[in-house]
Amino acid sequence: MISLAHPRTARFALATIVSVAVATPALAQEAPKQPPAAAQAEQSVNPAQEPQPAPPVEDHAGMDMPGMDMSGAGRSPDGQEMDMGKMQGGSAPRDARDSDDYADGYRNSTLPNYEMADKLSIPKILVDELEFATGNEGQGFGWTALVTDGPDDNKLWLRSQGLKNSRDRLDPESSVEGLWWHSAGPFWGTLVGVRQDLGKGGTTWAAVGIEGLAPYWFDIQLTGYVGTDGRLAARAKASYEILFTNRLILTPQVETNIYSKRSTDRELGGGFSNVELSGRLRYEFSRKFAPYVGFVWERALGDTADFRRAQGESPVERRVVVGFRLLL
Amino acid sequence: MLPFHSLPIARRRFVQGLALSGAAAGFTPALLARSTAASAAELRGTEFDLEIAELPVNFTGKRRVATAVNGAVPAPVLRLREGDTVTLRVRNSLKEMSSIHWHGIILPAEMDGVPGISFAGIAPGETFTYRFELRQAGTYWYHAHTLAEQTGLYGAIVVEPREAVAAPDRDYTVILSDWSDEPPLQIFTNLKKLSSYYNFAQPTAGDFLKDVRQQGLGKALDQRAMWNGARMSPTDYSDVSAATYTYLMNGTPPAGNWTGIAAPGERVRLRFICAGTATFFDVRIPGVALTIVATDGQPVEPVTVDEFRIGPGETYDAEFTMPDAEAHTIFAQSIDRTGYARGTIAPAPGMTAAVPPLDERPWLEPVDMMGAMAAMDGMGGGEHAGHGMAEMPPKARHARTEYGANTDMRVDYPRNNLDDPGAGLRGRPWRVLALADLRTPMGDPDPREPEREIELHLNGNMERFIWALDGIKLNDSRPLHFRPNERLRITLVNDTMMSHPMHLHGMWSDVEGPDGKFQVRKHTVVVQPAQRVSFRVTADAMGRWAFHCHLLYHMAAGMFREVVVA
Repeated sequence: MISLAHPRTARFALATIVSVAVATPALAQEAPKQPPAAAQAEQSVNPAQEPQPAPPVEDHAGMDMPGMDMSGAGRSPDGQEMDMGKMQGGSAPRDARDSDDYADGYRNSTLPNYEMADKLSIPKILVDELEFATGNEGQGFGWTALVTDGPDDNKLWLRSQGLKNSRDRLDPESSVEGLWWHSAGPFWGTLVGVRQDLGKGGTTWAAVGIEGLAPYWFDIQLTGYVGTDGRLAARAKASYEILFTNRLILTPQVETNIYSKRSTDRELGGGFSNVELSGRLRYEFSRKFAPYVGFVWERALGDTADFRRAQGESPVERRVVVGFRLLL
Repeated sequence: MLPFHSLPIARRRFVQGLALSGAAAGFTPALLARSTAASAAELRGTEFDLEIAELPVNFTGKRRVATAVNGAVPAPVLRLREGDTVTLRVRNSLKEMSSIHWHGIILPAEMDGVPGISFAGIAPGETFTYRFELRQAGTYWYHAHTLAEQTGLYGAIVVEPREAVAAPDRDYTVILSDWSDEPPLQIFTNLKKLSSYYNFAQPTAGDFLKDVRQQGLGKALDQRAMWNGARMSPTDYSDVSAATYTYLMNGTPPAGNWTGIAAPGERVRLRFICAGTATFFDVRIPGVALTIVATDGQPVEPVTVDEFRIGPGETYDAEFTMPDAEAHTIFAQSIDRTGYARGTIAPAPGMTAAVPPLDERPWLEPVDMMGAMAAMDGMGGGEHAGHGMAEMPPKARHARTEYGANTDMRVDYPRNNLDDPGAGLRGRPWRVLALADLRTPMGDPDPREPEREIELHLNGNMERFIWALDGIKLNDSRPLHFRPNERLRITLVNDTMMSHPMHLHGMWSDVEGPDGKFQVRKHTVVVQPAQRVSFRVTADAMGRWAFHCHLLYHMAAGMFREVVVA
């Protein structure tokens, strides 16, 4: 009841429904030859079709829609028109001030020991998930980790996720990525780099994506890939934090993966290969260390499901996970 | 906030500190005597030798190393005399560069003590000789212009007026500060990695349920839509909280109970100085009205209040007559209501009075995000926040650099209601000081009308802990150029949801009222969220100067501009 009453959760539920709805055509088509049409609707999920440049830095109104868009005209008591622009995002009007004009050509001091902290590169390690998993397909361990370093505008990202259960191989989505993160507005960044699959039949991919914080505090990561074997792929992740207290925090998450063609080595079909819903409840003893318990429900779709059935496995996997989160 | 008695003992000790804590590793009777003594060490004269050095301390039960001056945290009180030329030889015995800035003192640019701008800093083992003439009287202070400000390098300056004036019976400096067992660089990097690192008061699912029960679902959702839609937290009062801070009064944690002595009927002056690096304090002495007689060292028309807010860098001289032979608590709670500094004024050492509970932390209100739009609509903010807002103020002129990643929010119609005491103090059942209450009695010290205006917006990206002016961080910026002796207006618009104490070095900030007329002379001007404040400057100090937010971590993150008078 608590979670359903909470606005954040309500929106999470909506996001989940949308994701499932998007995935449904793939469920219906047993062996889609083409990426399902519905995928086209998902913005940036399918950028690999024709690798797109990073979203424009200046105008990302589409991503930045504030929930409290105050734009439009108001009226002051004396009847004067008040045209109030958007409070977030947008691009500068033609007559915007130029702050450098105040300098009249002067430059900052060049004496030693100038305050330089605004240019610091601050390395950050976030092991979001490091967990023991047990479920209908046996036991194993999983991880999701992100290492970043660099100043405010440009960072190196090392991103990895994976799962090893009792099967003789890693989960096909296990991978490590090396990416250049570039700030694209106050809440969003673009990603360009390389993904290397881990495990048998792994492919090397070029990666292009976006990540950021959507209104109402949704964490979003959308990445498109072009593989060296000519395949295209995309991965979408969205998560949210529900604070039961400021230390007891539930993180629901949804992830889905899409491939343009099947890969027998990887046991992945074309189209939507899977959708995963999870919830992890952590307790932050400190911001740096938080153990958690969670539940993961994953459904293999299309040919990927067939691959699993052929191995004598269920296309639906349910896992209970126990692990911890680290911020260093 | 939990009442303290329900906190686990270790936590209580951390928040309240040790009774016998302070600037020494061992606990001795002498130390106890010091914590109940009038004030820390005091130095007088015109020649001073100050040594910056490490000092073992124990404020919370953990041994740490502070940065001390002549072995004292806070640094010794300097009692100077207006008209004197003072010489201060500062030796740096640390292993790293250090500096001392004389906050609020009008002096030559090369004596101002800002590394990289006034001079190169003081290298380890070196001595820098400061020399300047005191052309002012009042309460000021000095501090490191480096991260060592967080670790104890701050002290009071009292400049006695040249002409003898009636002095109160008791005169104490009261320095409020925030101590952390974590090194300041770690606090900064923690904030850069996760800006809510120290905020353990974010709205929860339980709060939502409570609001649904009390106000109904629609209202509870509406209340959240504005904040969540904008990805802003309504409880972002301070970046750093009592999760790591122990708040100090004259270097003494609450349990140590710094005590000033005053007999019934005696006139007492408390010179409050906020040396908090990330903390505003709300100060009151329950049952005792305080007459504010000066701010930032400058006299004001006396105004009597029950409570006032003091921001980092500011000073307030408060006077009262000791009403009785009882003890009275000096209570200074942090703006985020996570902790407090506390002391006592009493006729004898060892006396205590009740310590008030911490207040609930209210949410910021719509006026704190949307400024005049909300103030006009009477959207939240209560009665008080709308005062002085009969007319729509002018629209803010945004800089083109405010449309990038360093700016997560812009306010088009900032409020200029200087009679707003600020979020958390609105609707108090007693009188609370607001900026509008402060008036310099002599009128405008430079009655020339400003010839031009520099509009600067205070903004930032809370999610990434970036702070900037006009969307530009210090090292991406160019300086503000002031022409020699011009009178100009600086207009600050706060686009963020935090208050920023803006400190201009070297020259006074003559704050204007909403009517555009001179109101009060200050050196550190607090601009509330979504508020506009203008001040006049006479550019009579040649050279390069610092202009920055006095929240140390905002300054470090880029909310800093250089000023060139040339």
